[in-house]
Amino acid sequence: MRLLHLYVIAVFVMVVSCTIDKTDYEAEISTETTEYIDFEEATSITSGDYTISIEALNGSLYKGYNELRLKITNTQTNVDLENSEVAFLPIMTDANGNKVSCPHEYNLPFDATEEYYKGYAVFTDESDTTVSWQLYIGFVDNDQSYMIDHTITVEEQTNLNLNMTAFTGNDNEQYFIALVSPQSPNVAENDLVAGIYKYNQPTDPSGTFPDPSQFSYSIVQNHTLLLDPRMPEPSMGNHSSPNNEDLTQQSDGLYHGVVNYTMTGNWTLNFILQDENGQTIKGTEVSTEFTPGIEGEKSELYIDILF
Amino acid sequence: MKRITLAILLLGIFANAQNTPIKKDTLNVVLDEVIVIAAKKKKIETEMKMAVSVDEFLASSDNISFIKRGAYAWEPLLNNMSTERSTVTIDGMHIFGACTDKMDPVTSYVESNNLSDIEIKSGQEGSMHGATVAGSINLKRKSTSFGLNKKWNGGYQTGYEFNNDQFFNLGKLSYSGDKLVVDGSVSYRRAENYTDGNNDEVEHSQYKKFNASLGVAYKTSPLSSVRVDAIFDKAKDVGYPALPMDLSLSRALITSVAYKRFFEDGPIKVWDTKIYFNAIEHYMDDTTRPENLVHMDMPGWSTTYGLVSKVNFKKDDYASEVQLNAYNNLSIAEMRMYPQDRSERTMFAYSWPWVTTSYAGLSMSNSLDVSNISQLNFGGTLGLNYNYSKYVEFNWIFHPGAPQKKTRFLPNIYASYQLNMSGFDFSVGGGYGHRAPSVSEGYGYYIYNSFDRYDYIGDPDLKNEVSYEVNASAGFKNKRASIQAQANYFYIQDYIIGRILSTGSPMNYQSVGVKGYTSLDYATLFNFSLNGSYAILQDLHWKGSLTYARGLDENKNNLPFIRPLSYQTSLHFSYGKFGFLTSLNGDLKQVDYSPEYGEDETPAYSNWNVSADYTFFIKDHKTVLQVGAENIFNTYYSTYADWGNIPRMGRNVFTSLKIDL
Repeated sequence: MRLLHLYVIAVFVMVVSCTIDKTDYEAEISTETTEYIDFEEATSITSGDYTISIEALNGSLYKGYNELRLKITNTQTNVDLENSEVAFLPIMTDANGNKVSCPHEYNLPFDATEEYYKGYAVFTDESDTTVSWQLYIGFVDNDQSYMIDHTITVEEQTNLNLNMTAFTGNDNEQYFIALVSPQSPNVAENDLVAGIYKYNQPTDPSGTFPDPSQFSYSIVQNHTLLLDPRMPEPSMGNHSSPNNEDLTQQSDGLYHGVVNYTMTGNWTLNFILQDENGQTIKGTEVSTEFTPGIEGEKSELYIDILF
Repeated sequence: MKRITLAILLLGIFANAQNTPIKKDTLNVVLDEVIVIAAKKKKIETEMKMAVSVDEFLASSDNISFIKRGAYAWEPLLNNMSTERSTVTIDGMHIFGACTDKMDPVTSYVESNNLSDIEIKSGQEGSMHGATVAGSINLKRKSTSFGLNKKWNGGYQTGYEFNNDQFFNLGKLSYSGDKLVVDGSVSYRRAENYTDGNNDEVEHSQYKKFNASLGVAYKTSPLSSVRVDAIFDKAKDVGYPALPMDLSLSRALITSVAYKRFFEDGPIKVWDTKIYFNAIEHYMDDTTRPENLVHMDMPGWSTTYGLVSKVNFKKDDYASEVQLNAYNNLSIAEMRMYPQDRSERTMFAYSWPWVTTSYAGLSMSNSLDVSNISQLNFGGTLGLNYNYSKYVEFNWIFHPGAPQKKTRFLPNIYASYQLNMSGFDFSVGGGYGHRAPSVSEGYGYYIYNSFDRYDYIGDPDLKNEVSYEVNASAGFKNKRASIQAQANYFYIQDYIIGRILSTGSPMNYQSVGVKGYTSLDYATLFNFSLNGSYAILQDLHWKGSLTYARGLDENKNNLPFIRPLSYQTSLHFSYGKFGFLTSLNGDLKQVDYSPEYGEDETPAYSNWNVSADYTFFIKDHKTVLQVGAENIFNTYYSTYADWGNIPRMGRNVFTSLKIDL
């Protein structure tokens, strides 16, 4: 019996004494990505009899794509303002005093079931000592127009899976691509969602500030975003993955495709943006060669992600 | 009964050829009478060398060939089929290597001094331990019987091999009491790089291996006993010249508790039940290769627990064994890449994403003496195989929507008829059986194969491989001569093999592309062997063997790793206490190679070996001293199955000394 005891103890010691620990896979894929799930109030503006509450994921505004929900409340009557014409315009002032905007939804539609005004903004820079963001919100109540402005803070985007890029296309237009989803990708087929926007060059001279015609952006329609994901690290030798799908526009206005990540690590999403006629607006094809030890070449148009 | 066990193949000839009497391995006397389907016992040594590694011993069998990635841990091919198609067990216990690249076949976790015998069964006759196509290899451990006259037995063996500076010490000790039996063994081998036939050193071919085993048996009643067994094996600093990485450490713990009961009356003769547990860790990395700018660790773990329970029946001319086999295995393998600094890890993936395999099977083998000269053997297995991939997302990359769980039924049946009269024996047989894809074939993810330099991807939806098999043998034996011819033919439906995937992008540093495991419609395999022996004089014996195999896929292209025509011939002469042996072995040119699967033509080679031994006594202790040389002409060669055409060892002078205590 004592021998058996010794034996059992020996077995136990052997089994638990692994010299190399197994990787904690759940921890491995959950680091580096902060996932934003809940809408919380990011800022609240009170002006006169009205309070405007702006909700965003995680209660913060980040560089990149932000889905926004607005509620306008009459503080006197404590009644929410419904079905109003709400205008939304973010303006960034840089160190030189130049004022620019960013892709956004100007006229916010009212969602009757959820009872909020729905919009989005793709902030192109984070707020700092030289860069400041201002929101201009206009609405109509009882046939009277109101205009409220408010300074907001745009925070750094720590989740590279929600990264964005801004570029000038071969047609000399300004474009923006912002990743919307997945926030926390898996080693798997991931539905890749991105917004593609374009700055509408003003045709008329500027009116009184803030003149929306000077800050007009629109969703790029019916283009195609060709996708080639690769691992750029020299060690990964330009590794790619199978079964990826190019991004095409769906009914929600966003572009949907599929990206496969074969393993965790740094990935680059190499893009080629083509218009409805197949003309390339930006982006170059990358080498498909396997080149271990050499840093992977990137397309002219790309977004780096990390997971 | 035609049984292609190694024991019979060798022993039949051995008994004739061997002049020095071989002390029979001690085994339980009761057991000897009742186990009707037992293999003959054979000491773990070849005629050429008395101190052999398990690999070298297996290599002396006709059915076995090897894939070699270096000097250590060769992968045994049974009937020219890789280890996925055969079941390799230790005393019926299932053990699965923890290396995705098959660098640790089960045979690498034992040592010759804790084995008594290796039982090889070809084709479906080997399905007793689990579903198989190629057959089974069962490594039998030493177990001393109760109540021997000599209570203490032991042996010590040491040796030195000059080519690779190999030094080994093997020791064993056993105690046999009326109620208690203890068997123990310890061994240590270490070897440096070997040199090839051009006297060039083959880098990264060193190894160190420690092995210890302990078995304790206690007689609980006159007819029953309990036995506890453990093997601990540890290999360090093992180089694989054919691979871009080496093994820093592998450890195995193989344990079991068995209860055995004999019955004096009635048709049931013995009931033997065993529960077992084994855990294997296998850590490969390439930090020993400074030329790699990027490093990769490939640790693997394999844990198995299981149950084997068997009952032997015998009544008149009929004998039968019924066996229940159940096991559960968890296989995990990781890939981690990093630049020179391990902490700056750049990627992570599972090459085995926590794959569980559960198997339960009920098998039966029967033998019926039809007449005095003929015997019918038949049997079968019905198995249930279940796989579960915990991190199935890795499998979904290449096979979107593949199921996380998969259950398979694995039937196997066989029958053979044997005729034996006046020195002649004939047999014919056939079999049918399924096997499930292995963990790598089903769930592997970017498993780098350095033979064809492709990364391999498993497919969870692969069909069972189905084998149809026929075999036949004919032989003649008298007091002076013996000759035996054997042939088998396999028609394997849904033969699993890797095919290039156009979609994949390689991942491993030296890889050129991605292959996915797919099923061919069918493949065929033919194996043939011819053995002969002749006693020229009382003390001068000749033996020889010839093997041929051919494997074709559905398009009549060659399959990889099929051994070309090979031969072996040897002459043994004994004079008093001296014994001399000389042998010649080799392969002809590999004509039927398979470029599709990364093979190139391998030229013919032949090796000439000699050895001499001298037996004497030191105070009643029998001592044998042996000196010999392998590859005397220092031929530079590599075989059809050497990965990366790594050259084999050049001239090797070996010495060894064995003392029975």
